[in-house]
Amino acid sequence: MKNREKHLVYTVNEVPPLPHLLVSSLQHILLMFVSISLPIIFASQINASAQFTATFISLSMIVAGLGSIIQSVGLPFIGSKYLCPNVCGPSYMSLSLSAAWVGGIPLMRGMIIIAGLIEMLIAPIVQKLRKVFPTYIVGLVVAMVGISIIKMSVASVFGVAFQADAIRTADLLIGIFSLLVMVLANIWGKGVIKMYCLLIGIALGWLLAIIVVPEYGYALSVVGEKPFFAFPTITDEFHKITFDMKMLIPFAVIAISGSLKSFGNLLAAQKISKPGMKKADFVPIRKGLLADGLSTALAGIFGGMAVDTSSSNVGLAGSTKVVSRWISVAAGVIFIILAFFPQLTFALSHVPKPVLGAALVFAGCFMICTGLQQMFKQEWSAKKTFVVGISLFFGLSTAFLPALYARAPHFIQTFFTDPLPTTTLLAVILNQIFNLDQFFKKVNK
Amino acid sequence: MYYHLSKTRNFALLFLIILMLTATSCDYSQTDIDLSRYEFRDTKKLVKFAYHAAEIIRKKGITCIDSFKKNRDNFGNNDFYLYIYKFDGENLFHAGIKEFEGQNLADVLDLDGKAIHKSVITALENKKNPHAWVHYNWWKPKRFYPVPKSSCHFKVITDEGGKLYVGAGMDFPHEEKEFIRIIVDTAVDLIQKKGKEALEKLKDPTSQFIYREVRVFVFDDEGKTLISPVLNYSPVEINFLESKDAAGHKPFERALTSLKDRGSTWEVFLAKSRSRRILLKKILYLRKIKLNDEIIYVGAVTDMPEPAWTN
Repeated sequence: MKNREKHLVYTVNEVPPLPHLLVSSLQHILLMFVSISLPIIFASQINASAQFTATFISLSMIVAGLGSIIQSVGLPFIGSKYLCPNVCGPSYMSLSLSAAWVGGIPLMRGMIIIAGLIEMLIAPIVQKLRKVFPTYIVGLVVAMVGISIIKMSVASVFGVAFQADAIRTADLLIGIFSLLVMVLANIWGKGVIKMYCLLIGIALGWLLAIIVVPEYGYALSVVGEKPFFAFPTITDEFHKITFDMKMLIPFAVIAISGSLKSFGNLLAAQKISKPGMKKADFVPIRKGLLADGLSTALAGIFGGMAVDTSSSNVGLAGSTKVVSRWISVAAGVIFIILAFFPQLTFALSHVPKPVLGAALVFAGCFMICTGLQQMFKQEWSAKKTFVVGISLFFGLSTAFLPALYARAPHFIQTFFTDPLPTTTLLAVILNQIFNLDQFFKKVNK
Repeated sequence: MYYHLSKTRNFALLFLIILMLTATSCDYSQTDIDLSRYEFRDTKKLVKFAYHAAEIIRKKGITCIDSFKKNRDNFGNNDFYLYIYKFDGENLFHAGIKEFEGQNLADVLDLDGKAIHKSVITALENKKNPHAWVHYNWWKPKRFYPVPKSSCHFKVITDEGGKLYVGAGMDFPHEEKEFIRIIVDTAVDLIQKKGKEALEKLKDPTSQFIYREVRVFVFDDEGKTLISPVLNYSPVEINFLESKDAAGHKPFERALTSLKDRGSTWEVFLAKSRSRRILLKKILYLRKIKLNDEIIYVGAVTDMPEPAWTN
């Protein structure tokens, strides 16, 4: 296994020299900033004040930072000890909005705490899931983690903020340019060029965007109007926590989906960090899920947006072969510090959309291919064809045909929500059903 | 070595091509109008387009319309085109339908009976409507179905003293929050000027206060309807304060709470989409005004822009 780990630039437990640690962390932070658009969108969708938005972003960043540290630092009983940072979770967005509309921020906080606790309760069961998640299903889940970011990344590459709005050719070209720089630096570059391919792509893409689309430069011109240092302003909304049992089931379902997504991310992180490992080791996965649940619960307690493990950061680690968990810890610490510096946060949250989209596509490619490789590395069979095929058909249909599911019976609506959880759930169930013959054979013996 | 050099050269050439394409595709034109009130890029582009054309006529005079006619393709695309009218309704230039030029179209009505030219003149005089938006039904030549349209306009007074307006309209337009801000603020002005008499005007389907699925509604402090958002006559009383959205929350109750210390508010809620049957976000703009010692509320609802990556 040591030999296989040799091709890694920094292994999972290795501490890179300080300059490399900081630059690698910065590279991960830039990718983590993609998710900062979520609390901004959330605040705009509830028509919140500028002060609320600023506080909400700061609190979300603090929680994401804490989550990244807990996940990677190596506390007893909790945390996977892999490079797997936390970011604001898109899967919680829609339900958090519903909770905020029904009972305001206090209810959103209460329900996120419950979701976090459910995730923590699920964690110990995972260790017993070895038979439920054979290698090819693990591969499918990892690939689906990459597929689940397609919509957000492609919309970003095209530079569009709202559905049906115009696409600027300049945005598309900026996106293509950034992606090409990242990919070519990764496949042809050596040493630091390969290691910091994403950072180089973002920097050059951003520069090009400022030169050719003046709007991107103007967006940065108001940075000076923001305070350099500020504590989050805790307004009335952040003083109360309430619960509504009517929302328990949808939040429980999304907590399970969140756990499955993190399960996929952690498996991918393990695969990348320990390439020689023959079978998945579920102990760090369990500890990782526990950390993920705790971070989600902390998001509710602090009043930030629910957090989740980041697929794109795991993808970045895999593509650069820099998998040191200390990068995740450093990124978490820097993310927390940045939460108190609105000028820097504002500037970093204004990386042009096409550039961010390119970064997401770059990281997503790695996730999809890692999953597919893992899926097909074992001998294939007709059973596997139908498990994977049917799961993909119906899992992906939730993204292709959302209106269809809007009219489906309630129990179907509950479980057919998003490609990742739906595909995972179907694959697990079908795998059990199609292997019933093996079960009966054992019973008859 | 040769291979290495050729790879670097090809690489540099590729980037150069992308850089050149990017540089040629960008729009460096500056504009001194405030477009921050709009959320959609299409809307911003349309306003900028009409404003720049108006600026050309302001600077070069009415004679430049001849050069517009010679370069007709520069003043229209698949989504919108430019037109110029005199204030009496005579069309001077129409990038979409050339046959209109020279005709007086002051009396043209849309499918709902809306007098388009008169609506534009009213909008141009309305300070609450800085880009003179008018919403109506139109059509595209060689098509057989009505096309909903939102158009913006700019007034130009030529050196010769002629009054013109330059406009451009978006086919199948986006629903901007700014559109309902304009009609609600205009309705409030009208009510404050004319009292309850104004309510009849607000109900008129040919007025600016009703377009597509949007209409101005009015209710009193107890939630009792003065102008209904849904029915012209209802045998059952609609109480706004008791009304719930598709998620079960009471947007009007919340709006009234935030109106305790301010004159206007925006509130988001959920409603079913007509075509896709899924839940969509809508936004309510509500204003509180005092009329003869009575508090009344004036509002309208429109679609909320959906993030590009959501279903």
